Amino acid sequence: MAVEGVRRRCPMTASAMEHVTTMSSPSGLPVRLAGVGVRFETPSGTIQALENFDLEIAPGSFTAGIGPNGCGKSTLLRMVAGLLAPSTGSVEVGGSRPRAGDGQVGLAFQQPRLIPWRSTLDNVAMALELSGDPPADRRDRATAALERVGLSAAAALRPRELSGGMAQRAALARALALDPPVLLLDEPFSALDALTRESFNAELQRLWLERRRTIVLVTHSVSEAVGLADRVVVMTPRPGKVARVVDIDLERPRPADLTGDSRAADLAAEVREALASAHPLELRAWADPEERP
Amino acid sequence: MRRFGAAVVSLVVFLLAWKVVVLLGDYPDYILPAPEAVVERGIRAVQSGVLWEHTAATLIEVVLGFGLGASVAIVVGTALGKSILIERALSPYIVAAQAVPILALAPLLDIWFGGGLLARVAICALIVFFPIAIATMVGIRSTDPLLDEMLRSLGATAPQRTRLLEIPSALPVIFGGLRVGVTLAVIGAVVAEWAGARTGLGVLVLIANQGLFDTELMFVALATLAIIGLVFYGLVVLVERRLVSR
Repeated sequence: MAVEGVRRRCPMTASAMEHVTTMSSPSGLPVRLAGVGVRFETPSGTIQALENFDLEIAPGSFTAGIGPNGCGKSTLLRMVAGLLAPSTGSVEVGGSRPRAGDGQVGLAFQQPRLIPWRSTLDNVAMALELSGDPPADRRDRATAALERVGLSAAAALRPRELSGGMAQRAALARALALDPPVLLLDEPFSALDALTRESFNAELQRLWLERRRTIVLVTHSVSEAVGLADRVVVMTPRPGKVARVVDIDLERPRPADLTGDSRAADLAAEVREALASAHPLELRAWADPEERP
Repeated sequence: MRRFGAAVVSLVVFLLAWKVVVLLGDYPDYILPAPEAVVERGIRAVQSGVLWEHTAATLIEVVLGFGLGASVAIVVGTALGKSILIERALSPYIVAAQAVPILALAPLLDIWFGGGLLARVAICALIVFFPIAIATMVGIRSTDPLLDEMLRSLGATAPQRTRLLEIPSALPVIFGGLRVGVTLAVIGAVVAEWAGARTGLGVLVLIANQGLFDTELMFVALATLAIIGLVFYGLVVLVERRLVSR
């Protein structure tokens, strides 16, 4: 049975915060995509997932990517993580081609992707083991990472015993534990309930302000993108291109709830308008009042 | 002890049905002996030491043959699962070797391997090999590609991915192959003994059946083989329960 009780806990505790501030790591790295195209060959033909994609991401900045389903957002992240090479153009992280698992880039996938026969704690510890962390350190760091996402009580549970939201938080803990210079988040909060999601967004902003790693967040939520990012990159439907970049010049730290902030409302409207003109058919979905900041 | 209740009841029913068939059919002893006659013959065979001598020989062949066959099968099966090229190159031979009746080949294999224990272990291992190799291959292929990608993103090397992901996710399937393989090991030992051996339960079956016309003794030997199969199968299941935690 899933331990629902821990879901409501505040995701940040005092001791975890202490741990975070004492952790030392290189600061964020720049990411550069120039003329990137990705083609997939399938039995039913060629799919052009991305085409002529140009984007410069400043070191230590917070970028949100938003766009309709299938526009190549996940493909983009997999490329920056070095899991996929572009068919054309170039991808650079910190000035060199990304290599999977070189410790520069951390990727929290859309699905939790936890090893089913390992406990939640072991799943996080395994990531640290692979990054070459000394054994003595692993458990402490993994424990602290779970504490940060409010999953301490679930440390000994297997992934199948976790709810969808808990599994997603465990995956997030795994990515955060490594504290990479570039952190890619692929809809990391999609399975969380609205309240937990809000506290995670606040926590993510706090972590980012503290460490200034480069963060790229892919999301479907306009309010989340506007609430968190420095820049919102609106993508076109497949083949994915940059439709518009909206700079978010709201002051930080921003409150979790931006309702009533007229500047935020204007920016959200701008993002929505960009989405709508990039893909008019998606207009209805993006105009959902639930999504308004 | 509740879990053994059903087994005990089914054993009693089986023996009773056997007895009823013998009574109704009124068969001569050399066609179908009564269960109590077989038990009585078994006790005499144990007391004379004959049964143990043959059982010990067969046990050694089963243990060594299964151990060798399963070890090689898991290594080869892993290679087959990881490389399409290796599978394309090797699988025709593996399948063909499996399709050739081992009974026909056994006398030759016995000569090639020098006719001793080594030859019998080799024949036994050959029979065990196929189901375990195929199960391992299928198991390795069943690895979740999303988890594999996750491990690659964390910097896991190919050997690390085999150890941390592929072997553990293949284990339930590998154990399916081991369960089949361990019962085949018993058959393999008997086939090997028929190809040329002086002791072993397979030899005892031949002696009892064709030399002594002692059908009761043949049944004792067959029952012992069945018990060996059951015990080893049970051991595999025990190990499986310890290793495969789902």
